[in-house]
Formats: sequence, C-alpha cells, structure tokens
Amino acid sequence: MRAVDIIGVGMFPFGVHKTTPLVEMGVRAAVEAIKDAGVKPSQINIGFFANMQAGNLTKEFTTGQAVMWGAGVNKVPVFNIENACTSGASATTLAMMSIASGQYDLALVVGAEKLNVPFVPLLNPSMRDINVLEGNVVINGFAQRAVRHMYEYGTTKEQLAMVDVKNRRNALLNPKAKFFNKPVTLEEVLGSTMMSDPLTKLSCCPNSDGAAALVLCAAELSSRYTTRPIHLKASVLVSGVFDEWPDMQTFEEDQRAGRTAYETAGLGPEDVSAAECHDAFTICEVMHTENLGFCPIGEGGPFVESGATSLGGKIPVNVSGGLLGKGHPLGATAAAQIVEGVIQLRGEAGDRQVEGAKVFLTECMGAELRGDAKTCTVNILTV
Amino acid sequence: MSSDLKPMLDGIFEVGPPPRLLGAECPICERKFFPKPIVCPHCLEDVKEIKLNTEGTVYSFSILRIPNMLYKYPQPYASGYIDLDGDNIRVYGLFDPEKTEEIAIGQRVTLKVGQIGIGLDGEECLRYYFTPVDGGGK
Ligand SMILES: [Zn+2]
Repeated sequence: MRAVDIIGVGMFPFGVHKTTPLVEMGVRAAVEAIKDAGVKPSQINIGFFANMQAGNLTKEFTTGQAVMWGAGVNKVPVFNIENACTSGASATTLAMMSIASGQYDLALVVGAEKLNVPFVPLLNPSMRDINVLEGNVVINGFAQRAVRHMYEYGTTKEQLAMVDVKNRRNALLNPKAKFFNKPVTLEEVLGSTMMSDPLTKLSCCPNSDGAAALVLCAAELSSRYTTRPIHLKASVLVSGVFDEWPDMQTFEEDQRAGRTAYETAGLGPEDVSAAECHDAFTICEVMHTENLGFCPIGEGGPFVESGATSLGGKIPVNVSGGLLGKGHPLGATAAAQIVEGVIQLRGEAGDRQVEGAKVFLTECMGAELRGDAKTCTVNILTV
Repeated sequence: MSSDLKPMLDGIFEVGPPPRLLGAECPICERKFFPKPIVCPHCLEDVKEIKLNTEGTVYSFSILRIPNMLYKYPQPYASGYIDLDGDNIRVYGLFDPEKTEEIAIGQRVTLKVGQIGIGLDGEECLRYYFTPVDGGGK
C-alpha cells in the first residue's frame, strides 16, 4: 500500500447561507482546495462527494458530479457518499484507499450541506425504527448518555456547559466560522431553553450551511506539487455493534476506531498535539476525550474543567470551534475537521494556532441504530 | 381502553390484558431480540417469537421538553432504556406520560399499553410504555 498525503484544503465558511445553493458552496470549497494544492482540475483522477440531507431538504441527488464539474473535474469516477455526520471522513477514507491501492494518484474530496431551508424536521434515521416510534430522536440519545454519565461518574452539568463556552470562544478565532459572532457564558448555556434534560439549547450545535474540500495525493508524488505535504497516517471507518445490550456511558466505536488508527499510525493518544471531535452536543466531547484515550474513562468532566482541552492546554480539542462553535453542516463537518488538522499542522491557524502541533486527530460519529453509533471515523495526520 | 385503536406497528406487542412485548429467540445461539429480527444476525437462522418479561429497571432516560411533532407525543415526555428482568435484554420505550418526573435510573417499571401519539398513517394509535412501580429509583 502507498502512503498518502493531503496537499490542498479549502472551506466555504460555516454559517447561514440562505441564498447560496448547495452546489455553489461545494464548488467554492473545491476550487480553493485545488488551487491550494497547485494542481489542475484535469489532473484529479477520482472524486468523492459527501452529503447527507440534499435528497430530503433541497430535493437534489447525485450532486457530486455537478460540484466536481463546477470545479473543472469531469470524466473521472465520482462517488456520492452518505454516512450521516461522518460522510466527509468516510469519503476521505475511500479517497485514501483509492490512492493507497495504487489505482489513482490524485483524489478530490468535497463535503457540502445546506440545512437553512424553510423547514427542517427533528432528525431521525428512520420513521419505522422501533426506538424512533417509541420516542427516540437524536437529542434524546445524547441526553440519555449525559444522564447515565452523570449518574455513573458524577459529571456535572456545569462541566458539560464548559465545553460549549470553550468551543464558542475558539470559533471567534476562526475566520471560517461565521455562525456566531460572540462568546457565551456558563450561565447563558445553563440558562437557555431546556431541550432534553440536561441538554439546553446552547448545549446543542446549530444547523449551519457550508462546505469543505481536500486534495489527496500519493506521497511519492506530492513533492511535484507542494513543499509542505501533510501525511494522512490513518483513515479509519467503523460501524457499531448493534447487539441487544447498548451501552450509554462509553463510546465503544471510538475505542475501536481509535485503536486501529493509533496502531496504523504507530502512535498513541499521548502523541496527539490537538484534536477535533464530534461535539454535536456538549456530552459528546466529554465522552470522546475519554474514549479516544486523552483522559481516563469517567474523567472527561474534570478534564475539560481543568483547561486541558482549551487552547494552550495539554491537548486542545475543537480549536476550530467544533460543531458547537461553527455549526454542523452534516456532510461537510468531518471533512472540515481534517481541513483544520492540515491548517494547524502547517502552522497557518493564526490566533488559534496550537504551538508546535505535530500530530492531529479527528473523530466523527453519526446516526444511531439500537443505541450504537452507525458510523464512526478516526483520522490521524502528521507533519 | 378504546378497542378500535391499532398498535403503532404490527407484531411488536400484544395489547392484552395483560400487555406483552413480542420478542424473539434464536434456536441455535439462544440470543433474545426485541423487536423480532428477520433472521438471527449471528446465525442467519429463523427465530421463534417469544413474549418478553413485563417488568424491569430503568438503565437511562431522557425527558424531551420541546414539541416532537413527528408522532405528536405529549409534551414533555420521557423515553429511554429498560433492562428487562430475566431476559438479558435492554429495550427502548416510552415512559408513562403522567409520571414523567418520577423516572430515574434504577426505577422499577412495568409494561402498559395505551393511546399515545399518532402512527405512521397519521391516526391515533396504541403504544407500549413503562410506568413506575414501587422500589428502586431516587
Ligand atoms: Zn443465533
């Protein structure tokens, strides 16, 4: 298998873009990534487009080919990928496999999503799912985890709220994070509308629009295009267990995907300089920091409280603002996490730069079946 | 209970009385399931229908305070996971809408069936739910 690098990144700002079509957001991110990589569109051999809700919300399908051609990429194989919130990382895993196999040299990944349409229903993976018919919606699944985590480990609602305060503060330092323009206080997070106990409105990521793009290249060829390739050391995708005994207090999928990614990269959690994770709800980040090995299981609450995950801390988490600070354009989210990793490892993150970042981890998780995540991704990038 | 209301999905529970959840057991590996799978995903064999235990303990729960128009549940409503006695299985279910604030981890609950919300066809329907009984909880 060949080693794979990331040589170009692009992002259409995450925010509310009511008048910008889905395809245009994807094209703008793709063009930025292609120019950043220093390649011509005609040199791209294969494309992967990630999106989750276009079929539902804007009534579009097979959108990837329109996005790719908008950025000058035609004739080559293009795949349209839907894997819930991990769609962008799942597309990256496929792009990596296509290059590692030796079949293709240059791959373009684009993730894009438009959620600010007139009516967005509460998300659920299937109307016929028995858990959905019995009252489960996405936020409930995470509230049940929070309730269990607080019961088992003594995690406090203040600790959960600190995740949002931190990520909103980080987002203000990211010029591509346009959803909010001010920080929040602990009191504001705790005092906002109760959605599903203990998760308040500000404990949940907002619906934003946006796009992110990556150009992947066979490592043996990347010096033709760039002097500063970022190495994609591991790109792992796993599915849940789905058995009759769902566990609400750990993320087994994180542990399994993380183990494979660390082994593949020859690194461990102690080597990670900074990370992005799926903080769709505050409890998620607390659990991800535990299950990816940044702190012991059950200690994610005290870990965020200690400042370890803040900028300047032991392992800054979601320095881009995360989903809580940037919003969550589903199909774009996981690709944008990898974009942030590349920017940080290049040392181009400006005011939110993690000093001396050498290893960057991104984690994403999506949809639920029988109490387990349907899909979970871990990517590890190095300088 | 009005007898002309239908369950929100066929083959999930018996209305009773007494109400029973319809699960399944694999004749090869003896694993139990709820709801009944198409075949045992471990053995790929046909499973046989069984009636699950009606009592259990709350493992975790959530209380949704905002409206859920999907199936027009009461507002607020509680739902979550229940460990059924003896069956070694954790099932998802609604909790008694009249007793939302009594739900807690460790609370003992028992199965009931009644009209809650609407079904896939938009009509009022029957759903199973768990109601607190004495013992456990806070
Ligand atoms: Zn079996």
